[in-house]
Amino acid sequence: MTVTIGQPTERRTPAGPGPAAVRLAGVSKTFGTGAAAVTALRDVSLDVRPGEFVCLLGASGCGKSTLLNLVAGLDRPTGGELTLNTTRPSFMFQEPALLPWLDAGRNVELPLRLNGVARGARRDRARELLELVRLDGQARKRPHELSGGMRQRVALARALAATTQPGDPDATGLLLMDEPFAALDAITRDVLQGELLRVWQATGTTVLFVTHDVREALRLAQRVVLLSSRPGTVAGEWDVEHSTTDLYDEITASLREVITRHAA
Amino acid sequence: MPHDLTKVGSAQTPAASAQPGGPGSGQPAGAGPGHPAGAGPVDDSAAALAGLDALDTPTVQRAPRWRRAVAVGVPPLVALALFLAVWQGLWAAAFWPEFKLPAPVSVWHEFTVVVANGEVWSILWTSISRAFLGFLIALVIATPLGLLVAKVAVVRAAVGPLLSGLQSLPSVAWVPAAVLWFGLTNSTIYFVVLLGSIPSIANGLVAGIDQIPPILPRVGQVLGARGLTSARHILLPAALPGYLAGCKQGWAFSWRSLMAAEIIAAGPLLGIGLGAYLEQGSSFNNISMVIAAIFLILIVGIGVELLVFRPVERRVLRARGLSGTH
Repeated sequence: MTVTIGQPTERRTPAGPGPAAVRLAGVSKTFGTGAAAVTALRDVSLDVRPGEFVCLLGASGCGKSTLLNLVAGLDRPTGGELTLNTTRPSFMFQEPALLPWLDAGRNVELPLRLNGVARGARRDRARELLELVRLDGQARKRPHELSGGMRQRVALARALAATTQPGDPDATGLLLMDEPFAALDAITRDVLQGELLRVWQATGTTVLFVTHDVREALRLAQRVVLLSSRPGTVAGEWDVEHSTTDLYDEITASLREVITRHAA
Repeated sequence: MPHDLTKVGSAQTPAASAQPGGPGSGQPAGAGPGHPAGAGPVDDSAAALAGLDALDTPTVQRAPRWRRAVAVGVPPLVALALFLAVWQGLWAAAFWPEFKLPAPVSVWHEFTVVVANGEVWSILWTSISRAFLGFLIALVIATPLGLLVAKVAVVRAAVGPLLSGLQSLPSVAWVPAAVLWFGLTNSTIYFVVLLGSIPSIANGLVAGIDQIPPILPRVGQVLGARGLTSARHILLPAALPGYLAGCKQGWAFSWRSLMAAEIIAAGPLLGIGLGAYLEQGSSFNNISMVIAAIFLILIVGIGVELLVFRPVERRVLRARGLSGTH
């Protein structure tokens, strides 16, 4: 597995051409050995272009969390090759997972602090990022004083702080999002989906977004990748950006087909 | 420059309004029917977000300060007055002889005597300084011990049960052994105090670490925290509430162990602390002095709890939104 940090890419406008930001070539992951071995991912190949927004769609057991963990470097594949061409990937979870003893600003600052960024610089950066997610003036609020949607936006700002490097415009960031809006109410989810698109446009970050929701995938992604379950393999791929038809029915049908296989 | 946020901020309005429904400009019916955002101008989404934030932000209503002070201060005062009244009544009924149940006034008198001759300060100082010094040493030993037990499986398997067992062993049981080992010296006192408080503090830290939601260390890992950095920025702050509870209990154990040690181990080298003062009262068959000593011990315990631990704990819990009351 090669991880190249900060290698220049030609363009970072959303979905620009150039070398893949994330390349999975025949990646497999098996937990355990012998009879008790569980194959979570089998022969998954996927290229994500720099600045591209890709949604991974799948039912439970499609190995999406395993996949994100591999890309995040929290785990190693047992087969195949995984190449990253981005800065350090950052993660967003279903829950905001803010540190409750730090206020919003310091939560955003934390990754910078862990990477040794000086106090003044990281404070400025945190302010910029909170402004970007439209939380200006909320830096001194503690997580419990914020609503669920606001917390998730602080988490987004923190993830951006971890993966973007303002000093190095050639480095493309990578956001791994594991159903980040699944725990929010419908109204908040809808607004945050719009916000995520705006922020993605503004930062040119590459996004790998896992969801169960076909509509969410269609609204957000340029490309939707359907994963089958147990083991996870790529079961289908749709180019949303250049499609002229509504893919909803088609993708839903494929998803059902993948799920139905497990009925027996 | 996609990373140049200031530029982006000003450029974002036309860009976004040019592409309703997001950057996938070719996105067809995309979001499908019933897709509200992106339909209007972009300012609308900012306003919608602001409105949503205003609606969803938790509101905290706090009673005025005087009302909270009354709610906190009056009940214990009433309880104290009732207690004194019952005591006075029982004494007046003369169920028990005077040397068993003294009048509240005679205890008060005993108390004013020690205060008047200034002895009370040296007695209090002897005991409180010992308890605090013992407690601080216990903190220094118990904190790394707790971290080791919590994070190293072998250490937990080896020492964990012993640590819990020691917590339930009354530390007064150590006094005879300590007297044989160290004689009637301060070492005896500190030995007993340490054995009383170390298990509580270490166990508190272990419990605090065990109760950390697993997502937090994971977040730390994703953000780049490893090893000691992770302990400093994630583990210890996350375990702080449990650790504080352990410290509070550790203080209580150190205080009561100290009293036990002072009552049992009295000698010329040891000076007069609250325990020795109580023991003196008992030797003189002076029940008023005994009760006065018990009250002093109680007052110090309550005072440290109210002046030291309560404010710290309140601050820590309130900062995390864990306790808005008291």
